[in-house]
Amino acid sequence: MHGEHKTPGGKLVVVDLDRVDDRLRKVEVSGDFFLYPDDVLTVIIGSLEGLDATLDQEAIAEHVRLALPDGAEVLGTSPQGIAIAVRRALEEGAE
Amino acid sequence: MSDQAPEATEPTGIARTSIDDLTGRLETDREARWNQYEWQLLPAVPLDPLIQIALDETLTLAVGKGGREPTLRFWGWNAPCVVLGRFQSVRNEVNEDAANEEGIQLVRRISGGGAMFIEPEGAITYSIYAPDEIVAGMTFPESYAFFDAWVIDALKELGVDAWYAPLNDIASSGGKIGGAAQARRGGGVLHHTTMAYQMNIPRMTRVLRIGKEKLSDKGVQSADKRVGPLRQQTALDRDVIIHHLIGHFRARFGLTDDTIRDDEMADAHQRAQDWFSTPDWLYFLP
Repeated sequence: MHGEHKTPGGKLVVVDLDRVDDRLRKVEVSGDFFLYPDDVLTVIIGSLEGLDATLDQEAIAEHVRLALPDGAEVLGTSPQGIAIAVRRALEEGAE
Repeated sequence: MSDQAPEATEPTGIARTSIDDLTGRLETDREARWNQYEWQLLPAVPLDPLIQIALDETLTLAVGKGGREPTLRFWGWNAPCVVLGRFQSVRNEVNEDAANEEGIQLVRRISGGGAMFIEPEGAITYSIYAPDEIVAGMTFPESYAFFDAWVIDALKELGVDAWYAPLNDIASSGGKIGGAAQARRGGGVLHHTTMAYQMNIPRMTRVLRIGKEKLSDKGVQSADKRVGPLRQQTALDRDVIIHHLIGHFRARFGLTDDTIRDDEMADAHQRAQDWFSTPDWLYFLP
């Protein structure tokens, strides 16, 4: 399943995932955003892997936000943008 | 920004406040940050795209640990390629079959941002390598504006109505010119910028996937309307523009002619072979 969200004036975030027993699996997050340091992406993906697929956008965003380490920078997208892409993948995502 | 230099090691006289706070001191601060170094120039040498990518890491680390003076390097291209951003997925950005048919190499760079379609004479790319103290106290967006300011001034001297558009674009009244991206590691900051000189739109759109969502806030229908290549805007040869950029930097901040050292080139080749050419790196996001 595949979902995208472009932050207005910002960057694109793409989420690919499977839904297995109402859990997010095989989560991939990609896009033309900027993250500092680099391994923040692993943290974001880790925070989504296995997550309850029935959570709403706000809850997903909060989950990502809380996972970010102190000093991490997410530029061009946001926990909110990532959460929108996750919900889009779950609701509209074919493939 | 946990790896930032502590306050005590900052150059004297440079305020650790937002660059937007103090318009009075802004210009002086900005120029002082640039002028505290003996800048070195590495002119363009045509190199394999993989070596270009690896050199960015080699030289960022070298400057970060003080083994090389802060440096401005122009890129030379010996082959067409697509340069993916650090966090982009290959299949979402590139039509790999088309790229193979066109003989276009695919590489992933160490900085975030978007995919670039590069033909050797079609783009102007440079990298700036500096100790990360140069942006001490700045937010990331402020640091992008800081690194791009000189090139925007240089473009204005060529008659281009250019400006910095957050977060990382160089825009103009004639269309988007280019974009920048930063990576930080080992005490060094890399800020590299690619500007379109001449676009091969049909070839680019065969190779890059440009989806509807990506264009959703652009208010335009096609990719070609978004760009204003420098040849179209200046009618100048590519070499003339590069010469002017170098001249502007030299007059403003000082610049000593330099070459890539043998040990630096060997390090880049090693990194290319051991890491940047591997599927683990290129297909890190498949």
